[in-house]
Formats: sequence, structure tokens, C-alpha cells
Amino acid sequence: MKLRKIAWRNIRRNGRRSLLSMSAIGIAAMAFVFLFGFIEGMKHDVAYNIHTFVNGEVLVRHQDFAKYRHLNPLHLGVKNYQELVSNLETRPEVEMMSPRIKFPTAIYQEGNTYRAQGMGVDFNHETEYQQIEQYVVEGRLPRNGENEALIASGLAKDMGLEIGDRFTILTQTMGRGMNAITLNITGISHYDFQGLNGNFFQAPLDRIQYLLRMEDSVSEILIKLHEDYTPESFASVLKTELLQGESWAELEAAPWTRISETYNMIALAEAIYYLIALLFFFLGSTVIINTMMMTVFERRKEIGTVSAMGMTGPEVVRLFFLEAFYISVIGSFVGVLVGIGITYPLSIYGISFGAAMEGVDFEMSEVVRPILNFKSTIFVFVYSSLVASLASLIPSRKSAKVKPVEALRAI
Amino acid sequence: MYKTTYDHWSKTKTRRIVGLLILTILFSAAAAPLSAMDAEEIIQKMEENQVHQSAYSEGRMIIRDRFGEKESSFKSWARGEDESLIEFTSRQERGQKILRTEDEIYLYFPDAAEVIRLQGAALRDSVLGSDLSYEDMTGDKGLLDSYEVELLEDEVVDGQPCYQIDMRAVSRDVPYPRQVIWVDKELFATRKVHKYSLSGKLLKEMRIQDYITQNGKTFPARFVVEDKMKSNSSTSFIIDQIDLGVEIPEATFSLQELTW
Repeated sequence: MKLRKIAWRNIRRNGRRSLLSMSAIGIAAMAFVFLFGFIEGMKHDVAYNIHTFVNGEVLVRHQDFAKYRHLNPLHLGVKNYQELVSNLETRPEVEMMSPRIKFPTAIYQEGNTYRAQGMGVDFNHETEYQQIEQYVVEGRLPRNGENEALIASGLAKDMGLEIGDRFTILTQTMGRGMNAITLNITGISHYDFQGLNGNFFQAPLDRIQYLLRMEDSVSEILIKLHEDYTPESFASVLKTELLQGESWAELEAAPWTRISETYNMIALAEAIYYLIALLFFFLGSTVIINTMMMTVFERRKEIGTVSAMGMTGPEVVRLFFLEAFYISVIGSFVGVLVGIGITYPLSIYGISFGAAMEGVDFEMSEVVRPILNFKSTIFVFVYSSLVASLASLIPSRKSAKVKPVEALRAI
Repeated sequence: MYKTTYDHWSKTKTRRIVGLLILTILFSAAAAPLSAMDAEEIIQKMEENQVHQSAYSEGRMIIRDRFGEKESSFKSWARGEDESLIEFTSRQERGQKILRTEDEIYLYFPDAAEVIRLQGAALRDSVLGSDLSYEDMTGDKGLLDSYEVELLEDEVVDGQPCYQIDMRAVSRDVPYPRQVIWVDKELFATRKVHKYSLSGKLLKEMRIQDYITQNGKTFPARFVVEDKMKSNSSTSFIIDQIDLGVEIPEATFSLQELTW
């Protein structure tokens, strides 16, 4: 009790020095509340984009499709897909799904050739799966069964196309021949995910099947799961229970965590950020160590006096440790509060990367909203307090070695 | 005595060798321009064989790649060396047409509301996924206008003696800066062609496996093209029927007719 009072008094007595130490810890804590919030937001954003536009949580496709992806192997597709979709609909794990055909095309217009990525989708499914209507910035969605297209804002701008215009796409068919079809533009889309705002368009699945001579095949089925189920376990169940028989034995069910390079990259980045956080807190702690060492040196006489009055070595160490602990806790607390104050409004309004994301082949949206995570915020507070306090043990232990006689001789 | 005889024999031999050398040099110098002319003559004779007033043919195109084999059948009309129309008749491509006029290539697809005019880099695209590009269909018109030719050492290709001719482009308008062709000495028809990039990389190989002779002209009836940039890929062209000198209506090679 007595030591705590002395520790408080010492902190107040050296106000500026204490404030400097608190600031060092506080800035590090604030930065990491924001950084962890940003990483969490980025992870959430990338996961949503991958689940919605790239792989789903579980991707059903031909087992050799990925191997020959660069050759556009449409013949390695999901046959009898409607029967498979009907079966999947009965599974309790499946929340929603999207059968799709992704294919590269060439568009020839007035002497120019545009390379574009097409996607055949069932717009009835996509209303739920992509919530596609929110991305239509002009016009309307194409109708299934019609030669219509929803084109990305970037493609429309590059080709000078508007609602009501038409364009002809030339592509390779499933039988590795060629075919072309003319599509009328009914809508223009703009996504937060920049990768879909360039040379990209979506057209009714049935018309794309006709164009590519794919009959009852699609290139893949994306699946989103209810919250209680994990992609890894459902993929394994799907392969053993459903993907059997002549039509589907060559299909694979791949969890997104296995096939997404971006996911693996973010997981690695997260581990690196935690390591950087550790280094930052040590760096912040050096200010405390330095302050405490100066204090020990300046207060040698005081240490000599209290030691002569009967304070033991361990008690002197505890006194200095308590001072450092209070500074760390206050610094971390204020830092975390400021971090929350910065991150919270950004989690509502987002951080716009705008043009910086153009042409970047990464499943991140142009606006990222940090997510304040209770667990990581508490972690930052405890972690920064603990690291800084433990770092103060070095100068505190030094104070115990001061001999009262030598210290008093200096009076 | 022995020495004198030997000296005389030695001098005579030396004179003969020198004489032979002079003759060889003289003949080589005279033969150099003759060879260049020969190369041009060979090309001219070969082109006379390959270009017809008009022709109608039916054939097949067999594309082989790592995924298997695919066959497409077609009908073709040609007039002179600049105009041709190919119409595909196989189930997957029925009704698709490729029209080649003097300077342009147009593609017609029954499900497309407009005709596609190929230009620039698009000409390098593959014809129906084969090893042949649209550019290959436009090239080889008047080889002597576009290439400088040089006769190389004769070679035997598929058991047949051939002239080997190195052709280097004199303008940038040709798809391949360098080609080497092997011309059958007896038939005056191409046996093999190698097409190179500017850096000297072999891009395509064409081998003729069979010929048709009609009205005194010999031309390829079956040939294989390999795009060396693709692995495990080749395309065979087989002409099943050909009629030379047929009457083809003027409008056949027009855009209006293409969409009918």
C-alpha cells in the first residue's frame, strides 16, 4: 500500500518524463488498435469478395480444371449441373449457391480488339448470391433466355458503350471450336471489388451455354455455407457423399482456404503484423527503460536514504516496477482509447484506396472498412501493458544494487 | 634419273591441281548469280502450280491437342490468289464462314448480328482453335514480292529430293520475317515449310503428306501444321474433293453474300 503511494507520487513528481513514457506506449497501442482493425476489415472484405465472386466458400469443379486453367478447358466442366444443384439445395449446410461459366473472349469493334472476361450466370441465383442489384449503376439486369449483358463500367468506358448498344463476343467453345454471339447491353455495373470493374461482363447462363455449346454443363458451382459449418468439413462430406457416380466422380469440392492464394497471403501477413507489433512495443518500452534508468541514477541519494531507513532491495525493485507498470497501463489505456476513436468512424465511412486499386490483381475492394474487434483490442491493451512493464524490470533490478553507504556519501 | 621423273610428275600434278582450283573458282563465281535466279524460278514455278483461276473444294480439318482430337468439315471457294470463302459444315460450327478478300478477313457467325472484320493483332488469333492463324491465310501471296530468296543445299524430305530455299522478308507487311521452304524437285510443290520469328525462333512447321494432280497442276491434298509455341498440338488439313476452273458467281466474295 505504502509502495503504491510512493510510486504514484514519483510518477506525478516527474510529470514530463512520465508523460513521454506514456506517449511512447500509447502511440504504439493506438497504432496497433487501428492496424488490427484494418487487417480484420481487410480479411473480412477479401473473404467476402472471394466467397461471392471468385471461389465461394466451397468450390465444385472438375479436378483437372485448375491444372489446365490457362488453356480455358471448358470441356472439364460440371456436367448435369441442374441435378447437382437440386441435390445441393437439400443439404442443410448450404446457404446459397451459384452455378457459373467463366470464359475469356475477344471483342472486335471498329478495328480495335478488346480482351474481356465473360461470366455466364443465372440471374435468379445471383440476386441472392451476389446481391447483384446493388451493383447495377445504370439500366437493369439482363433477363435469362435473352441475348443481353450487364457490362462493367470500365469496359463500357473503354469501348464507348451505353445502355441499348450491342457488342459481339468471339470465344472458344467447349469443343475447342469458335463461336460468336451479339449481346445487347441492358445494364452497367460498378463493384467495390476493382477486379470486376475492368474488362468484365455478365450474361444469362443459358445463352452462354448455347454460345459455348455446353448444353447442361457449367464450369463451376460456388457454395456459401450457413455459419455453423466449416468449408473444410463440408468439402470433405460433399466429396464422399455426393460427388460420386459417372457424372460427378471427376469433380472436386475445394474449400476456399485451400485454393485461395490471397487467403494464404493474408494469413501470412497477419502473422507478420503480430511480429511487427511485438517489435513496436519493445521499441516503445525502450523509452520507459531509458527513463527508468535515468530516474534510478538521479534518485541514488533517495534510494540510499530509503534503504538506510530499512527498505529492502526487493521492495526497491517493486517500487520502480510499480512506477513502470502504472505508466504502461495508463499509456496503453489512453492509446487504445485514441485507437478506438480513430478506427470507429473509419469502420463506418471506410478508407478509400480509389485509383490505387485499379489494375491490382488482388481481391480487395477499393473501400476497406476496418473492424473493431473486442478480442484484439483487449489483446493490444494487455500486451502493451505487459511488454512495457516487463521491460522496466531491467532498470528496476539495477536500483536494488545501489548500496546505501555509497549513495549517502554523495550527500 | 629417278629424281628427274619424280620432279616432272610432281610439277605436272601441281599444275593440274592449280588448274582445277582456278576452274572451280571460275565456276563458283559464275554459278552464284545462277543459283539466285534458280531460286526465283523455282518459287515462280511452284506458285504457278498452287494458284488457280478458280477452285471449289471440300475438306476436313483435324485438330489434335493434349485433350484429344476434333474434326471440322468445310466447303471452300477460291478465285485467283486473293479471294476465298470457307464455310464450315460440321455440326458444332455449321454456317460459320471466313471470307478473305484482297486486303481483309471477315468472320461470319450465324448467332452474331454483325460480321467481324479482323485487323492488326487479331489476325494472329487461331482459326477455330487450330494451329493455323488468320494471318497464315493472308500470307504467301506473291512470295517474290515480299521475300528475298536464296537457294540452299538440296535436301531429301520424306524420301523426295527437294530444293531448299531460304526466304528473308524485304518488307514488314509479312507475318513471318523468315521462311525456309523445301520444294519437291519433281512436282514443283511445297514439301515442307519452316516459319521463323525475327529472332530466329521456329514458330510453325508445315509438312505436306499428300498431293492431288488435276489439269496438269499439283497441289497439297493433305498437310499438317504445327504451332511450335503450343505443346502437343498439330492440325491436319485434308482436301477430299477439288474442282478447278469452276464458275463462281461474282457476289460470292462480297460482304452482302456472307450474311446470307
